[in-house]
This record gives sequence, structure tokens and C-alpha cells, in this order.
Amino acid sequence: MRRRLRVLLSTGAALAVLGPLGWFWQDSLLPGTWSVMDMGYTDTGGGAPEAHAHGDGGVDLRTLTADPDRPADVSVTLIARQERFRLASGRTVDGFTLDGTSPGPTIRATVGDLVEVRLVNISVPDGVTIHWHGVDVPGAEDGVAGVTQDAVAQGAEHVYRFVADRPGTYWYHSHQHSAEQVAGGLLGALVVDPSPSPGSAADVLALVHHYGGVATVDGREGDVVVPATPGTRVRVRVVDTDNGPMWVWVGGSPFEVAAVDGTDVHEPSRVRDRALLVAAGGRADLLVTMPEDGSPVRVHLGGRTGVVLSPSGRAPAPVPRPSATVDLLSYGTPAPLGFDPDAPDRRFDYDIDRRPGFLDGRPGLWWTVDGHAYPDGPMFLVSEGDVVRMRIVNTSGERHPMHLHGHHAVVLSRDGVPATGSPWWVDSLDVADGETYEIAFVADNPGVWVDHCHNLPHAEQGLIVHLAYAGVSTPFLIGGPAGNVPE
Amino acid sequence: MRTTYRVLAYLIALEVVVQAAALALAFAGLVHWVDGGGVLDSGVVEGDSDPFPEVIGLIVHGINGGIVVPVLALLLLISSFFARVPRGTVWALVVLGLVVLQVMLGYSLADVPGLGAVHGANALLVFTAAFLAARRARVRRPAADDVAAATADTPV
Repeated sequence: MRRRLRVLLSTGAALAVLGPLGWFWQDSLLPGTWSVMDMGYTDTGGGAPEAHAHGDGGVDLRTLTADPDRPADVSVTLIARQERFRLASGRTVDGFTLDGTSPGPTIRATVGDLVEVRLVNISVPDGVTIHWHGVDVPGAEDGVAGVTQDAVAQGAEHVYRFVADRPGTYWYHSHQHSAEQVAGGLLGALVVDPSPSPGSAADVLALVHHYGGVATVDGREGDVVVPATPGTRVRVRVVDTDNGPMWVWVGGSPFEVAAVDGTDVHEPSRVRDRALLVAAGGRADLLVTMPEDGSPVRVHLGGRTGVVLSPSGRAPAPVPRPSATVDLLSYGTPAPLGFDPDAPDRRFDYDIDRRPGFLDGRPGLWWTVDGHAYPDGPMFLVSEGDVVRMRIVNTSGERHPMHLHGHHAVVLSRDGVPATGSPWWVDSLDVADGETYEIAFVADNPGVWVDHCHNLPHAEQGLIVHLAYAGVSTPFLIGGPAGNVPE
Repeated sequence: MRTTYRVLAYLIALEVVVQAAALALAFAGLVHWVDGGGVLDSGVVEGDSDPFPEVIGLIVHGINGGIVVPVLALLLLISSFFARVPRGTVWALVVLGLVVLQVMLGYSLADVPGLGAVHGANALLVFTAAFLAARRARVRRPAADDVAAATADTPV
């Protein structure tokens, strides 16, 4: 009797330990296929709780396109392959190419152009998409597998059409298995020139990407030497395509931060011996004035690579990163925003933390948004025309470059300190651990937009939610026959 | 079950050794790589590729510490319910508690580097607790008092 009681007690104790664990485990399992529209819970941010169409009725996201009758001004075909290829530096890499190269071809347009890109998947077994990072494209053209389209299967193709309505530096990359495909090189630059062309400054693209731990600028390693005329101004378009932020500084000349994330800085001041942090996924255009005496200038990109602007081909000695920084919160001078962020229609909190638990059955320490782990996070609901204020609080122990698709937001404050410089418009905002940012934007681009961490493995680990417009629905599904895996 | 308990406890102690070795290997690889001109920045830290082969030490440390050791500690606790090791459950709880603390410290030390020192010291506590737990579950030759105890437990 005692023995039987003992076994019973022991089994009970074991069940008491295993039961809750098993319950949490099974509760975390994701279905094979689901719609982002059904994920998590709706956060109306204090605005009207309008009906959120669940895949039926309302506006179908596929109808949110550029004018279908307008002919294209810029036509590009991108051929995607998974292969072993050679970088411009000569190094061989296993990864992904577009038109046989990585980075893919730079797409160049003039503001107002209708850009039409045909994406053809020759040999990427998992499928591909192209997301236009930083371009506020129409809802159907965002290139997020399972949200705005199905992944383009091997042998298939997909056409993107959008008007490049703001001059600036952008980039494009796959948003299907994005952590793997972006790291593997399925990306390229998109530059939209103003009209009329300013013409005065020489223009240098500096797209930084790590291939297998090797830092490259436009696929080249070490210093990339670019000829430059003494006394002229050179615009260096820095793109951080990696998962971490990048410090940028200039040795041998003062510089201006002319644009951030594709938006011009208002009245940028000339600075010297200061470093600028470019967020993962973010861009910065530096305007460098070449010294009259013909001496060369080095733009340091993250410490291991850089662009050397040199009239003679000679490279200057590297300089260590200055401890002083360019703080975009107070850089430049104020200008009208075009809307009143102090009278918002909706207020959202995007609190990032992490906690132990299961994600799709895998134990670990997982990211949470507003206390909910993936896929139970909030869906931020807006109506077209709303002024939206969002507070991003990061107490997760790690840095997160937050990227909202389809919109540019203006930074209002950091850690309670109001912005006093030029309007700081971002699509990729580096939020360090312990920091709080307040941002605002106008909901002027109907669609279903993901809002995620651009340290792409973090998105894979669940740091992704979405912003939905009332009445807009998407027929696409995560998983499904197309095997859509946007992260 | 007693053997299961003992093996699990020794495995946890062994895992502490593996963890220390893996970390030292990774650190040595890092120093060697930096000596050869490697530069460590967030591009490398956040990148998904291995800049030097000894990075495997960090991966092993992460998987072992984040999943394998906690699972072993949990199994030790469950086995303790059946193993009839004197104070076996108490020791299993001590091990599990120290392991939970260790994992939390591990995830927090990028935030508060000082916790790295506590993480290192606590590793030795995990080792000691696991080792002592294992010792409690030694299989002894049947002696008079064991026979008496076994008889007393026989169902009537």
C-alpha cells in the first residue's frame, strides 16, 4: 500500500512538473497555414474600433497598385538564382544572386518615374520576393511573402510597379526566408535622383554587406578607391544591409549628413571628427567636401571597410572612430512636419522585451511585443488619414533596428528628450536596449504592413507585428501551398 | 531510477566542464583571429556566418546552456521523484534552481557585464551541486541497514 501510494505521489509530482510545460509547449505550436489578419489581438490605439475585414469584403490588398495603364519609365528584369558566385573582390561565396551578381544591379530612377521590375526565379528552391526597403510603395507591391504576395516559386515570375515619388537612397531585398536570403546576398540598391538633377556633387554608392563574415562595399573588400576632384562635393550614399548598426566617420575632411533613410535633412551643419550610427537597414547620404589641396579623404564604414575619395589614387591613413557622435535628435534645423503629432488619432505602444517559453514548440528566450510572444502580439489598426503616435520601449537586453513598412515616421523624442533638429524621418530606427523613442506618422498608405526588427534573425524569432488599415484585407497566407515564410 | 538519477547528475556536472571548455576555445579562437587582423564589430556579431572556426565553442555553449542543461536538470528533478535517493528531490531542486539562475545570468550579461563574473562563479556551484547529488545516489553494496530498509518498504 505504501509502495503504491509512493508511486502515485511520484507520478503526480512528475505530472505537476511536466503538465504545465507540455501545455505551454502545445499552446505555442503554430498551424501550418494562417493569415496575418487572424494573428494576435487588435490594438485600436484609442481610435475607432472599426471592423477589421478578415479576408472577405472590404478592399482587397491586391487592388492597391500604381496606375496600371501608365507605361513604365524604368524597366528592369531581375533574375534570381541560388548559386556559388564570385564577388567583385574575387572571393567565392555560396548564396544568392540577381542577374548573376550580388549585390544585384543598382536600379536608378528619377523622381516621379514609374519603376517596373520583373522578378524571375530561376533557381531559388524556397522561392523569392523583392521588398523595396524605404520606398512607400502601394499596398500590393511591398514584396512580403504571405502578406502582400505569394513567394515567387522556381520557374515563376512576378512584376512590381510603383512610382518612385521621393528622391533618395533605398535598397531592395528578398522578404521570403529573409534572414537567410538577405545574408546570402539577395539584395541591391535603388537610387532615386531628384529632378532636375542637382548635378553639382559627384555620386558614390556605398552599399555595405557582410558575406560570410567578410565586410564589403558594393561587393569589394578593403578600401574602395574612387577618384574625386579637389574642392568638389561628393555624395556618399551609405546603405547598411546587415543585421547590426554601422558607425560611419570621415577622416581628412568635414562632412554633412545630407539625408537619412531617403529624406533630406533640413539645413545640415558641417561637422568634423564625429561618427554617425546608421541603423541596420538604414541609409545615410554624406556630403563630403574634398580638400582644395588635393589630399584624399576616407569614409570609414564600420571599421573594416571604407570608401577612399582620392584625386591621386593615394589612400590616407585610417583614423580611429571619433568618440563624439552626430546625434540626429538635434542635428540640422527644424522645419514643418506637415501634420500635428500632438493631436494624434491613435496612440500605440510597441514595448519590446523577452521571456522564456516556447515558440512553435522550441524552448528558448523569445521576444515579446507588449508582453505577447509571437504570434500573439498586437495588430495595430488604423484608418486612412489617421495621425499615429507610437512609443517604442526596448527593455529586451538587446538592440533592435525597427522597420515599419510602407511609411516614414518622424522621431519626436528619445528617452523623453524632444527632438530639436531637422525633422528626423526614418523607416529604420535603431533602438538600443533601455531606450524609449516616440515617433509619429500619418497613415496615408492603405495596406497591411509588417512592422518588425531588421536584425532579421530577431524577426525570425518572433519580433514582428503588423499595422493594418480598417477595411483592407489580404488573401495571402503564411505557409500555405506557396510556402510563404516572410522572416 | 537511482542509476538514472546518478547518471543525469553526473551528466550535468560534465556539461559544466564542456561549457567552460567551449567558452575558452571560442575566446582563444577570437584572440587568434584578431591577432591575424580580424575586426569584431556588430556586423560580425549580428552576422550569421562564422568568422573563425572556434566560434563553434559559442554555439555549443549557447545550445548546451540554453536547452540541454535545463532539460537535464528537469529530468533530474523528475527522476528524483522515483529514485528514492536520500534528499534526492531537494538536491535536484537545488541543481535546477542554480541552472535557472545560470541561464538568466547568461542572457543578462550583455546588459550588465559584471554579471559575467557571477555567471562564471555560479557555474562551479552548478558543478558542485550536481556532483554532490550524484554522490548521494551511489549504489552501495547491500548492507544490513539497507536490507532492513528494503524489508520495511515491502507492501503488506
